[in-house]
Amino acid sequence: MKKLRALWMRLCGMVDGKDADEEFAAELESHLQMHIEDNLRAGMTPEQARRDALIKLGGLEQTKQSYRERAALPSLHRLLSDMRYGLRQLRKSPAFTLTAVMTLALGIGGMTAAFSVVEAVLLRPLPFKDSDRLLSLHEQLAHDSHELRVTAPDVLVFQRQSKAFSGMAGFIAAGYEVNGAGAPFRARAERVTASLFPVLGVEPLLGRTFTPGEDENAAPVVVISCALWKERFQSDPHVLGKIIDLDRRPYTIIGVMPEHFAFPINAGRLSHQDLWVPMSFSPVEKKSEGDNFDYSLVARLKPGISEAQAQTDIDRVTAGIQASYPVDSNVQLHGYFRRLKEETVRNASPLLRMLLAAVSLVLLIACVNLANLLLVRAAGRRREFGVRLALGGSRRMVLRQLLTESLLLSVVGGTAGIALAVLLVHAAAFSLPDSLPRLGEIAVRWPIFAMALGLITLTGTVCGLAPALAAINTDILDSLRDGSQSSGQGRSQHSLRSTLVTVEVALATLLLVASGLLLRSFARMLETDPGFQPQRVLTASLSLPTHDWPTQQKVDDFYRQLQQNLESLPEVKAVGLSSNIPIVGQNSGRLIAPEGHVASPGEGLLITSNYLVQGNYFQAMHIPLIRGRYFDARDEQQGAGLVAIISQSFAEQYFHGRNPVGLRVKVGPHFDTPMPAITVVGVVGDIKQGPLDQPTVVQMYEPVSQTAADLGPLAGMIGVVGTMDVVISTEGDAATLVTSLEKTIHRLDPLLAFSGMQTMDEIVSATESSRRFNTVIVSVFATLALLLSLLGIYGVLAYSVSERTREIAILMALGAPRTVVLLRTLRYALMLTAIGVAAGLLASIGLTRFLYGLLYGVKLLDGVAIMGTVFVLFICAALAGWLPARRAASLAILAPFRECM
Amino acid sequence: MADKSDVWLGTLSLMILTTLETLGPLHGYGIARRIEQTSGDVLSLNYGTVYPALLKLEQEGAISSEWGLSDNNRKAKFYKLTRTGRRRLERETRDWEQTTAILARFLSPIQGA
Repeated sequence: MKKLRALWMRLCGMVDGKDADEEFAAELESHLQMHIEDNLRAGMTPEQARRDALIKLGGLEQTKQSYRERAALPSLHRLLSDMRYGLRQLRKSPAFTLTAVMTLALGIGGMTAAFSVVEAVLLRPLPFKDSDRLLSLHEQLAHDSHELRVTAPDVLVFQRQSKAFSGMAGFIAAGYEVNGAGAPFRARAERVTASLFPVLGVEPLLGRTFTPGEDENAAPVVVISCALWKERFQSDPHVLGKIIDLDRRPYTIIGVMPEHFAFPINAGRLSHQDLWVPMSFSPVEKKSEGDNFDYSLVARLKPGISEAQAQTDIDRVTAGIQASYPVDSNVQLHGYFRRLKEETVRNASPLLRMLLAAVSLVLLIACVNLANLLLVRAAGRRREFGVRLALGGSRRMVLRQLLTESLLLSVVGGTAGIALAVLLVHAAAFSLPDSLPRLGEIAVRWPIFAMALGLITLTGTVCGLAPALAAINTDILDSLRDGSQSSGQGRSQHSLRSTLVTVEVALATLLLVASGLLLRSFARMLETDPGFQPQRVLTASLSLPTHDWPTQQKVDDFYRQLQQNLESLPEVKAVGLSSNIPIVGQNSGRLIAPEGHVASPGEGLLITSNYLVQGNYFQAMHIPLIRGRYFDARDEQQGAGLVAIISQSFAEQYFHGRNPVGLRVKVGPHFDTPMPAITVVGVVGDIKQGPLDQPTVVQMYEPVSQTAADLGPLAGMIGVVGTMDVVISTEGDAATLVTSLEKTIHRLDPLLAFSGMQTMDEIVSATESSRRFNTVIVSVFATLALLLSLLGIYGVLAYSVSERTREIAILMALGAPRTVVLLRTLRYALMLTAIGVAAGLLASIGLTRFLYGLLYGVKLLDGVAIMGTVFVLFICAALAGWLPARRAASLAILAPFRECM
Repeated sequence: MADKSDVWLGTLSLMILTTLETLGPLHGYGIARRIEQTSGDVLSLNYGTVYPALLKLEQEGAISSEWGLSDNNRKAKFYKLTRTGRRRLERETRDWEQTTAILARFLSPIQGA
């Protein structure tokens, strides 16, 4: 209490220091007078009396000093005065201060924002209990490069036989038409085994999750998401027990999950599930051994079990599965795992790694630039420091002063940077591409804030230290002498500055090359022909519940009716339906055996992407016919011959240039099987099944009405295909057709929900967003880096010109033409640039790590990108050098001499 | 100088408080003189050191100060004990007596035996 009070008084003492000083002077004065009077009375002479009083006091100034120190807090006092002085100095040169603060704000702001994104997406643990113990299991077939998950029967096998895990759960995405909760809609759903929620360690917000009994007996129960509960049930606390229809079958709501719960965590903003239903494998699923590796398996490691032990356990189980296959099936199976976290963020990491690398480079450039600015400034203030040292200031004081100044700059710049980061992070929530998971969780958090503060302090100290050390090594006499600029000290500082500029240029080169490569990739991607015309095409996804459409015949009839109704609209040109659409279509790979195909050694099984189509799909998508014919009404008739249309690359790769029209293929590994033969009737152009920058896959099309017949004995595996994308090509703007499509669908069935209504243009553009984001970000950073390094070149040159005014003037007095002076100065700028560019290009070889997987259609050593970078840098460097060079050349010859007279 | 003792650390404030209790409100010079005299001129005291000690006591609330007139009609700053200061003096005196009593027992062990 006593101490606190004293501290408070001392803090107050700092504020009214001046008054207190005066008062104490008066008190001491009265003390001395009283003492002197006493001494006089004791018989001393006036001089003796005064001297004795002063001696007894112990020195006037010393007493005042120790009093002052007690009155306030001396170290804080010094710091405040240093800061006051620093602020005054910074105010005196607003251009320098502004540049430095902005440089820092950009560097630190960018870094904080980028790190916030990285932290939320890559580093933060998944929001499940002990999430680092959760693994995702995979099966892999030998000779198959596709990444697989596990089959439905193997989910059960793993659950029964593995010993290294305390729990295991299978899940697979599903979609349901939902009725009974407001307007009908299509829900994103997940079929999950009852063990899922316990394995994740997540409790529902309301009610309960599934029991194993409900899972086994296909009980119609559903757990809904918090968002669905709020939107469709207005957060009704009595929602449990209510019935909703999923695909026209009644389900009872038994639980509501907590807010923000999502499983699995998918990429993108609109990827959160609306509901979860029990897995309840169907008899067909339970039998589909060795087929359809689409089921995911998440497992929790038992306490004390290592990942190596887990792998051994997985190997044991997969060996058992392998042994259960027929001997002649030739299937080579093995299993592996990934941490769930890694699985979730895998696809995001190349993008974020590059983001972080680019931001780090910019921060580095910003730091170098700041150090350079401080150096130039310190050099300009050598005389000031000389004076201070000559007047008895200690080197430590000067150092402290300089460090205070640079820290002050860092704090102001850093604060601005954090404000910038908050803005950027808000913007990022909207502009980051949908290829990233966990976008909703991005925010500037305390650890990041602490990191930013750490960065600020570090930059402040590092950037301040070098110039400060240089400044205090000043030779006092030298710095006070006139025209000392050309001393050895100046020269060594000058070379340090030149080195810093070279480093800046090198870093900028690195970023410019990266940006050039990404820009070229993006241009290549835009140039890529998707194989169809996305303009004026509208699509929507429809799913007919098997409850009301139990047979393929009924489904086909519905879609035929829809097609006819739509085609009767005046603005519609063609309507088709397909099980998949390009660019975003799931690739349903199918083993295919062409007639007469001789496998070359080392060639694996032939796989093709397979779309089931109906109506005028090719006409609606404008996929060009190369040979033969499109499908027509003949093919959809009962008992029609089995037909297929293949893509050009299919024809080239699997038929080796033979005319495929009239040739036959069979589904399966060999042509020599009891499977029915399918005749190729046409060849069409290749399409991009995935995003434009992904490789084209060979493609086959079949009439959806023939699906069952094509598969012969395996028809049961597919069941009824009720989910189709409708594709409509129009005369005018596709988007205006939205309401007509809605009306047409609801006239046929008012309960039917559909989703994903988009124009093909929107679909194509959405998949470009990730690359567009990359390219824009890196280009912005590269521009920033370029600007910063130009500022550096300009600063160094301008300073060196002002340093050498006399040298230049003598040159000109001796008759050197102005152009020579101009060129000499410019040459220096270009030399610095050349060294920097060379170093930068060498370093850009190391870019591979960061750009791997981000380039498309360009090589890492792309001539255009490199030449472009070199060109841009030299032009800009010449511009930055031009101004100081001109100033040098236009110096009045006599001015520098007048200065020193 | 060897026969004169430096003021022990921390005892100066106790001496100031005692002086103020005995003599009532007093200025810095008077306090310094009094301490020197009371110690029988055994203490070598720089009068200047009294002032930071006074300031500290004032910051801690043990004493308060105001300007007044000295015996010779000279303007001087007078310090007086506050109630907190009086309590503190009592406590510190007690502590001090205890400490010296204990020390005394250590220094003359034969008497106790």
